[in-house]
Amino acid sequence: MSKLFPKSINKLPLQILVYLFVVGGLATAGITYYATPSYANVGYAPVQPVPFSHALHAGQLGLDCRYCHSNVEKSGHSNIPTAQTCMNCHNQIKVDSPLLAPVRASYESGDPVPWIKIHQAPDYVYFNHSVHIARGVSCVSCHGKVNEMDVVHQDKSLTMSFCLDCHRAPEKALRDPKLVTNLDWKDPEGEKHQIEQGQKFVHDWNVKPPQSCSGCHR
Amino acid sequence: MKRKFEHPAPSERELTGPRYWRSLDELSATEGFKAEVAREFPEGSSSMEGVDRRQFFKLMAASFALGGVGLAAGCRRPEEHILAYGKSVETTIPGLPLYFASAMPLRKGSIPILAETHQGRPTKIEGNPSYTPFGGATNAIVQASVLDLYDPDRATTSTIKGVAVTTADIQDLLAGIGKAAAATDGEGLAFLAGQSSSPTRAALVAKLKKKFPKAVWAEYEPAQDEPPVAAAEAAFGKSVKPLYQFAKAKRILSVDADFFHSESGSIQFARDFTKGRRVTKPTDPMNRLYAVESTFTLVGSMADHRLRLASSHMLAFVAALAARIIGGGAYAALSQGLEVDAKWLDACAADLVAHKGESLVVVGSHQPAAVHEIAYRINAALGAIGSTVDFVVIPSDVAADIGALAKAIEAGSVKTLVVLGGNPAYNLPGNFDFAALAKRVPEVVRYGYAIDETSQLAGAHIIAAHYLESWGDARTADGTIVPVQPMILPLFDGLTELEVLSRIIGDLPTDPHTLVYDTITALAGGDAQKSFNQFLHDGLLTGSAYEKVEVSPSSSISTSASSAPVKLSKDNLEVRFTFDAKVDDGRFANNGWLQECPDPITKISWDNAILVSPRLGKELGISPKGWAVQVSRIETAEFEQGKEMAYVGEITVNGRTIKAPLHIQPGLANYTISLPLGYGRTQAGHVGNGVGQNHYPLRTSENPGFVTGAKITVTTERYALANTQEHWSMEGRDIVREANYEGPNSYQENPGFVTTLGLEPETPSVYSNLTTEEFAKLPPEKRAIITAERSTQADRGGSLSKAPTFDGVHQWGMSIDLNTCIGCNACVVACQAENNIPVVGKQQVLAGREMHWIRLDRYYSDGKLSGETFGGDINKEIPEDPQVSLQPVGCQHCELAPCEVVCPVNATVHDEEGLNTMAYNRCIGTRYCANNCPYKVRRFNFFDWNKRRTDEVYLGPLGHSGMPELVKMVKNPDVTVRMRGVMEKCTYCVQRIQQAKIKQKVKAGASSDVTVPDGSVKTACQQVCPVESIVFGNVKDPLSAVSQAKSREQDYALLGYLNIRPRTTYLGKLRNPNPAMPDYADLPLSRVEYNSKNHSAHGHEGGKKEPGAALLSNAKLFGGLS
Repeated sequence: MSKLFPKSINKLPLQILVYLFVVGGLATAGITYYATPSYANVGYAPVQPVPFSHALHAGQLGLDCRYCHSNVEKSGHSNIPTAQTCMNCHNQIKVDSPLLAPVRASYESGDPVPWIKIHQAPDYVYFNHSVHIARGVSCVSCHGKVNEMDVVHQDKSLTMSFCLDCHRAPEKALRDPKLVTNLDWKDPEGEKHQIEQGQKFVHDWNVKPPQSCSGCHR
Repeated sequence: MKRKFEHPAPSERELTGPRYWRSLDELSATEGFKAEVAREFPEGSSSMEGVDRRQFFKLMAASFALGGVGLAAGCRRPEEHILAYGKSVETTIPGLPLYFASAMPLRKGSIPILAETHQGRPTKIEGNPSYTPFGGATNAIVQASVLDLYDPDRATTSTIKGVAVTTADIQDLLAGIGKAAAATDGEGLAFLAGQSSSPTRAALVAKLKKKFPKAVWAEYEPAQDEPPVAAAEAAFGKSVKPLYQFAKAKRILSVDADFFHSESGSIQFARDFTKGRRVTKPTDPMNRLYAVESTFTLVGSMADHRLRLASSHMLAFVAALAARIIGGGAYAALSQGLEVDAKWLDACAADLVAHKGESLVVVGSHQPAAVHEIAYRINAALGAIGSTVDFVVIPSDVAADIGALAKAIEAGSVKTLVVLGGNPAYNLPGNFDFAALAKRVPEVVRYGYAIDETSQLAGAHIIAAHYLESWGDARTADGTIVPVQPMILPLFDGLTELEVLSRIIGDLPTDPHTLVYDTITALAGGDAQKSFNQFLHDGLLTGSAYEKVEVSPSSSISTSASSAPVKLSKDNLEVRFTFDAKVDDGRFANNGWLQECPDPITKISWDNAILVSPRLGKELGISPKGWAVQVSRIETAEFEQGKEMAYVGEITVNGRTIKAPLHIQPGLANYTISLPLGYGRTQAGHVGNGVGQNHYPLRTSENPGFVTGAKITVTTERYALANTQEHWSMEGRDIVREANYEGPNSYQENPGFVTTLGLEPETPSVYSNLTTEEFAKLPPEKRAIITAERSTQADRGGSLSKAPTFDGVHQWGMSIDLNTCIGCNACVVACQAENNIPVVGKQQVLAGREMHWIRLDRYYSDGKLSGETFGGDINKEIPEDPQVSLQPVGCQHCELAPCEVVCPVNATVHDEEGLNTMAYNRCIGTRYCANNCPYKVRRFNFFDWNKRRTDEVYLGPLGHSGMPELVKMVKNPDVTVRMRGVMEKCTYCVQRIQQAKIKQKVKAGASSDVTVPDGSVKTACQQVCPVESIVFGNVKDPLSAVSQAKSREQDYALLGYLNIRPRTTYLGKLRNPNPAMPDYADLPLSRVEYNSKNHSAHGHEGGKKEPGAALLSNAKLFGGLS
């Protein structure tokens, strides 16, 4: 019988195992990297029609987020400012800048500037900005330090587990609602104090973030 | 050890006794019906037509291969844009809806509304609560009207001689008409318009008549929704109309009046009527309704005593009543030949007289003036005038009628005919031929919303703006002036009626806003701009209602004794024309929401059948074959795979013949056939074309309500009717629980009567340690507290199932009052509008795939069924006088939901606030949940209803895909649009709940006040309900309205014995019959049946039967043994 199977065949099971391990590993790594939101979307920084710098406006000049995103406290959507909002300042500053031409055109004609959407929840997710802002969840929790970004990119994965991590342990993110737009703020007394304070907020404000389907899916 | 909970085995009495039945086939238990109820989904709904398994796999393999090709490109997300406004828009916040007060104009009684708009796009209509008579309620038609705005079949451009033209051309055309008319004083110019309540239009018509004195202004409206003015003129010598005050009436007699639906003030009438019927404690009074009618209406279904009588006999009937109440020979003479039980009349008249000042007689608007006149006199004699009915002065009618116009056309004196709205080519009575008339007029200009039957005959078509695109004004039924505001710029440059008129008259502002502004500010006085803004803000002009006047009847009646009413028989039938509850006079025929909504009584969707009485059906030989021969078990199923295969009949009257399917409708007068109008459109659009039959040609202008002398012949053809009544049968258990208001075994005797019915006493207790009966005996406050506590506890009632923990801030629940529900279908359509529910089309309704999240079950019971259900002779007759029990059923949100435990992917789970949620994106479409739902309220997307046209669902990839842009605009942005292959069901309007919670949390900010105030969440069905049957709210709060409702003694859970603890519960129905009446029954007929089934003499006398006897008889009954 030994003639039928050469000796080298004895290594075959091991070879198959190694092969499967390598191919399986590569496939897993490939899918994780190319097809899951944590990798596919984080860092997404499309070229916008106007190279608006948050680092300049929100960071250096210190504009409050809500100057432009004016309805974030009222609406589920955090609005992108109208061209008119831009022109409030830019009818005096950099009046002729060629980079601002799309904004001026939009203001004149009423046609929108085609800003490219960066943070994109699926259509079946009904995220609401106003309630997070009102209850002391800072912009930075989901958007990162936009005040340091020249070109805005997606900073967090914004997957369902990302949402649930926070909804299950809100104390890590809660702060005084007055401080939500201060993107540089960190509890000065350290992580432990943040948790203690957070737990106090959870109790005092009766914070019960929804953890079931109906919270976000309708 | 695992304990198994056994369903209580049906007792022998249950098996052999009578039951509720919803259709003739259920009553007769034909083979087809039994096969039908044995299935979870109706036959055909779970099979693919024309595709077998092998073919399916071939296709699937091919599509996987194609999918692989597309994968490389498909896994990166598409680039999306955010398009902010160029200039900021005042008050508009992206993501938040705005509400504007407006009104939906409809004949003489418009309906005040609030329109919800999302960034300028109206999506949903609500009633305007500022108008207190309607209290924020609307009806199905108003709810569906928003869909018409986005109708892909609406006219998109004006045309002259079939060629598209610009608005400027149309303006020239109109100015030209005006100029030509000015030269001749209007000679040769004629208008044919629909009725309108608009004060501005009335002013324009007055100007038009002044400028063109020789022009003809005619109005035609196929439906009469207000009593003829001639009656009031004859009785009182004044141009007045009655405004009924049902809330003040204790005894009401309805004479052929469907005042819940077909009168201009119907919403108010329904609301007020149920105010007198809402009994919350035994000491509350309850009104009593007598109904005399020829066809079965919702009023008849609510009646405590109902008499079937031909419409043509109503004159004799009111005369006989007047003879008893007023007295006098004239009335007695008029009542000659009336064949009605004198005892019925005597007792009814005595009851009305006994409640002088609190009783009311209402006559249907379609009845001739003579009947109204006598009714007015009866009301006067009953002291009703000024109490239960007010008379108000209405503007005099200046319009010529269609007959005068036709004469002028025939005389050749009309050179230009302007048809403003309406659809005369479709809905004129049979004695006019509009096509021939239109041919005799050199120039026909048509102003209309769609290219319809009339537009085909016109040289020019001017597109009309939808009312949600228009400036205008209107009056409600009581005369209050309400604004019509545009929510959106006209999508296709449509004009308003006001603009068309003002351009023809000339020398006037042509902008309808200016016209309305001028009218209103002149009426309102004071600071013009301020009062106009107030008018728009409130949505009504305070104090503008018609003026009430004192009236007293003249001494003698104007009608002299005519010949006795025509004797009716099989060969001399009466035809009664009714206006469809959905498509009205046909103007809403292209509205899918309305077409798909089942008729409130017949439950037929997508069709209008000829309704015939059981007796006539028998005489014509079209009664279901199986029912009469149950014993010998020879059956022919009238229902083949859930399709009602109706016989097709031909009606001949006045020499005209119409062919249509015949539907046997219990409760009809023996020789009256009922023809719903509004169907059979040929140019309505994709939805309405060819749906049903057009019965208008059978009408005559002399008596548009009914005619006599009809004959019917049955053909050999059969026709499938999409009848939803066969679906979702609950198999005859005690579902709607009823009691009489007073008398033996009544509500007053035992307010907790619901606990004496059903199986709950035999199941584990759910109210701490109290049985249902003990619980019902507690004081209401105590019950509310226990119910509230119970809502948050997990394991109740000794159940072994692990219950979810309900630790949310709120616990949502609903209470539906069956005592006030009138079954009007408004909730069905409101739910469809709010929740993006698709339309599936007739073919799919036939397959049992309708998608409505809430349905109205309509049960008949006649009380005559004996213990031997199908044995006795009496059971071979189709009941002619059934009582109707109505019940809206949506998802009951069971606390221990059976659907959840069978879902393999956790797509349906509970949330912490007691909602049974559906995560669509998790659902893989196994449909196990629907199988396990005892209420059959889950709906499955068998096709991509939103992407595919309903007539092309079987074409697969070969059909059109994608939703027209126009139709996308009607979708509610707060609710997911579901795709093929997912299950869906009532969510308690979770989007509204979440919005209210978010609003409250935003308000709370850094504080703990996150409990939503009671009343701030209204579900769509609750908001629309004209009779406030539905109460929704937080059951955790014992003081909330819903807890108060649930703590009433009549509260019971549907199929409560299953111990699945539904969050929706029902309040038992009460009837208030008069013991003096010959048809008095000391128990509601459904209770009589319930009792004879469960406590039949047969069961008691026979003593104990052998075990298994029940099973045996059951098997025999349902065909298992022969």
